Amino acid sequence: MRPELKEYKFDSMLLSTFTAAAKLRNGSEKEYRTMLKYIPYFNGTVTAVLDTGEPGQLFIECISKYLENYITAREKGFHNAITTFCFSPGILYAMDVYPICLEVLSVAQTFAYRRGTAEFLDFCNEVGYTETSCSSQRGTLGAFLAGVGADVDMVLTDTPGVCDTNANAFAFAAAYLKVPFFSLDMPPVLSEARSDEYHNSDFRALIAFIEKHTGRKLDIDRLRTVLREIERQEELVAELEDLARMVPNPLPVSFNLMVYATRFLFSGMKECTAVLESMLRVASDNASRGASGLSGGVEKMRAFFCYIDHYTNSLRLWDFLDRNGICYQGNILSRSWSNMAPHVKEYRTEAAAYSFDYGDLDAMIRTMALHNSRMPMIKSIRGPYDAPDMWLQDTLSLAKMYSADCIIYNGTPGCRNTWGMVKLFARDTEKAGFPTFIMYGDAFDDRVESWEASQDRLEEFLRVRRLLV
Amino acid sequence: MNSAFMEAAISLNNDYVREWKEAGKKVVGYTCSYVPDELLYAAGILPYRVRGFGATEATIGDTYFGPFICSLPKAMLQLAGEGRFDFLDGAIITPGCDSMRRLDECWRKAGEDISGILPKFFFHFGVPHKYADYTVKWFIEEILRLKADVERHFGVSVSDDRLREAIRLFNKSRDLLERFDGFRTAGNPAIAGTEALAVILAGTTMSRDIYVKLLEELLETLEQSRGTLKDRTRLMLVGSASDDVNLVRLIEGERAVVVADNLCFGSRFHADRVDETGDPIEALAKRYLAKNECPRMYGEYDGRLKMLIDKADRANVDGVILQNIRFCDLHGSENGLFERDLEKAGIPCLKIEREYGPLVETGRLKMRVEAFLERIGQRRQSA
Amino acid sequence: MMVAGCDVGSLTSKAVIMGDGKIVASVIIKSKARPGDSADAAMGQALSKAGLSMNDIACCVGTGYGRDRISFVKEAVTEIACHAKGAQWLVPSARTVIDIGGQDCKAMRLDARGNMVKFTANDKCASGTGRFLEVMARVLHVELDDLGTLSASSRSAITLASACTVWAQADVIQHLNSGVPVADIAAGINSAMASRMSVIVNNIGFERDVVMTGGVAKNAGVVAALEKLLGLRIKRVTRADPQLAGAIGAALIAGERAQGGKS
Repeated sequence: MRPELKEYKFDSMLLSTFTAAAKLRNGSEKEYRTMLKYIPYFNGTVTAVLDTGEPGQLFIECISKYLENYITAREKGFHNAITTFCFSPGILYAMDVYPICLEVLSVAQTFAYRRGTAEFLDFCNEVGYTETSCSSQRGTLGAFLAGVGADVDMVLTDTPGVCDTNANAFAFAAAYLKVPFFSLDMPPVLSEARSDEYHNSDFRALIAFIEKHTGRKLDIDRLRTVLREIERQEELVAELEDLARMVPNPLPVSFNLMVYATRFLFSGMKECTAVLESMLRVASDNASRGASGLSGGVEKMRAFFCYIDHYTNSLRLWDFLDRNGICYQGNILSRSWSNMAPHVKEYRTEAAAYSFDYGDLDAMIRTMALHNSRMPMIKSIRGPYDAPDMWLQDTLSLAKMYSADCIIYNGTPGCRNTWGMVKLFARDTEKAGFPTFIMYGDAFDDRVESWEASQDRLEEFLRVRRLLV
Repeated sequence: MNSAFMEAAISLNNDYVREWKEAGKKVVGYTCSYVPDELLYAAGILPYRVRGFGATEATIGDTYFGPFICSLPKAMLQLAGEGRFDFLDGAIITPGCDSMRRLDECWRKAGEDISGILPKFFFHFGVPHKYADYTVKWFIEEILRLKADVERHFGVSVSDDRLREAIRLFNKSRDLLERFDGFRTAGNPAIAGTEALAVILAGTTMSRDIYVKLLEELLETLEQSRGTLKDRTRLMLVGSASDDVNLVRLIEGERAVVVADNLCFGSRFHADRVDETGDPIEALAKRYLAKNECPRMYGEYDGRLKMLIDKADRANVDGVILQNIRFCDLHGSENGLFERDLEKAGIPCLKIEREYGPLVETGRLKMRVEAFLERIGQRRQSA
Repeated sequence: MMVAGCDVGSLTSKAVIMGDGKIVASVIIKSKARPGDSADAAMGQALSKAGLSMNDIACCVGTGYGRDRISFVKEAVTEIACHAKGAQWLVPSARTVIDIGGQDCKAMRLDARGNMVKFTANDKCASGTGRFLEVMARVLHVELDDLGTLSASSRSAITLASACTVWAQADVIQHLNSGVPVADIAAGINSAMASRMSVIVNNIGFERDVVMTGGVAKNAGVVAALEKLLGLRIKRVTRADPQLAGAIGAALIAGERAQGGKS
């Protein structure tokens, strides 16, 4: 890592970047277009998001707020915690702990900077963390290890049993930075009473841990407020997902990312609800006019992303899809498993879902535990991929429900748990009639395979399989 | 040393397994040191630790596993695909780590393509990643689930008495191995690390009562013998699973001796005892889940560091070799922390990333180990 | 007293004869098929240059990948220890040495006496070695020596897959096809190489002064990029050809042995 990168806090710089981005639209259209020329590595993201109007504007403001929250948490007498995208932040907000989600910050950096997180990725290797570890955490972890992030109170993860390389990133961070560590463990089966019991006990241990390290008791009213907000957000997402089933799909390509990202940032908080409500207004308006969410207005095909997206190079994936009339039919990150989710109703999988119970404190903690244990990846990448309610079943159900023409896998080479079986998985989805493409790039690190190369291969797949004519 | 140990360590279907099978008895393979093999033994089944040793190519392994995966489970699948584990009547897979847990699907799917390679009894054993009252409860249920499935599938029944008997026998083997360790860590070691690994490994491939007899004989011989390795540089070997005695042989060469380890196929096998009083299932659950030697038990780094420092002190080591198989992020990253903290404690470390598999091109690995020995030598001279 | 060092590498073999702390004779030859033959030839030439015979040499140490196949040495020492010693003789203030040869890359941290405090070596694959640059120069149709100077005229360096030589090659071809200036590609190649090296150097925790030996030390583009990444100036070797560092170190160790230093 270059010495000059150690001169500034990376998160404060990121905060400035997104705060400035949130003001881009304040002037005239001409001023805005002119400004874009001055941010050549960020303008792809900016246009993909801000051109959606109000939702994009709110979304950018959300990122800015999120950064500010955790950077200033300590000086305001609150706490912060390094955590992961599949850890629902609701419980943390209820306890005045501001989350620092490594993966979301990695995406924010790849959105904004030409170098992405490259030097922080490398810094991890310099201090002995393996270069084969997943880049999603590594890119931001490096910044905290190098001491260029905010001071951290604790490290929390919920991926043991689901993703080793993820859990390991957090265990490493805690050992390296010498801060308290807690992990929620995920047993290999989901829909069994004893799994629910396990999640519940584990979650109670988490709350005790947070209480111990913050000196604050969990407040029942705060928890209820957060939980009500999560329920409201689930309703909104369910409505958005229902709309996505229409032909043409009225949701712009970037909406899916905004759905999951705002949830990762502000699940259980008004900020997230505001973005979702705004997206729903735009999507409903499009739907009432029978308009496609694609900027070209013509929907040529529908792709389902069975894992994560490709974030490097200023959202070039979104640009590619939008330009080619390819509708984005969701990925595993945007799904939730409350009993009101459309896919739960469609496939009668209530046994794998959870419901909101406000009966008493115990009931609410249990609800939070079940909500958390059904977060993306946590829900479906545990146990064998072909077991009930796991990755294969979810993917085939969702791809069918959202009328996908093909399934695309994109991840990172660090993803041991999917690379261990993705070939078999793809064989199964092909057998089920979905042309399936495995991308070999790294969602967070362009140096593994350049976006140009990834795009060439993706285009070739679409051509050879006659999906895009 | 009785050659039986080495033979068992370098062959898969060894004489003991064959004799066991010829007697009409069953063999069940398992992939992780967190499986309470006492349970199988009490059921009259030979617990057999599945290995990757002897795989010379990866054609089958690479067909099912993706590219960015540890080469050890690939080697295991390769051997299975070649029919070299056909003697197994069952297999138990655990979420020991992600690469290893995917052996579940890969083995099953390979079994659809290559007939006869998938054991009829196939069990996914959910080992928690931390120790708490509720994880122990889960683990007890998991052991009971395994017990019930084993009983049903093999038409046997496992009584508490049989279980206690097995626990006592296994504990005895651990006691003997601890005594055996004394000959490794002595000022003038009577046994090199290569042979020591073979002795420990052999225990995972043969009936425990026979193993105990062999160990007793070995200890008697060792009592009589005199150490010959006094002048060698004393090393500790740490990191990813290794069931390959040749790796230790390569490291030891003519100038070093591996006097201690914290390997999955090595000393982790006999660390701790199972409580012989009380409910045997609960005792098993507690012993196996309380083992924190493996980085799969997250958040236990400080305990493991302390354990390594204690081991290094006890065995009076000159240096530690921290190795990991490529894509083993758990050991690889923790090795980075160990290197930082052990060096700080004045213990020289050499960190190596390697592939699992036949040791063909060894020059580079050898060169690094030699340079490490030179570094230790220079250090001694300047001291 | 005359001592000698013989460094049998995979591509070149080197022999150095030293007397009274000075180089009396040195030879660099292309390695032959058998390491023993390479050693004999290199040492033979060095001896005749110096007008000496093997009997005049008090002690000789061998190093390099063929170190165990040399008939005339008293002892074989790894190239890591020898490069450390040799580099410090070349630049006495050296505390960190980066040696990049055709097929490997190593970094060493030293104490004031040239003893190794820490070392690491990258030999997983071609990336991070001179081989990477060779392959890339060929794809670009430029001379290896020009690759370094080319990057000075770059205005917007490309970003390159630093992880894998094969994939990087595909990337370079793609950039060439889309009309990216060769200088920008060369700069991207050099900085990818430097970034790979900086990870290794940072991994052992460098101390000043930092010295570079081996063939890649001659590539100004890589050195400049690495200086930028590390934030310091890398000391240039002027006392002798930096490629001789290993053989010089071997000869210095031979000197210690001849004076009764223990192995």
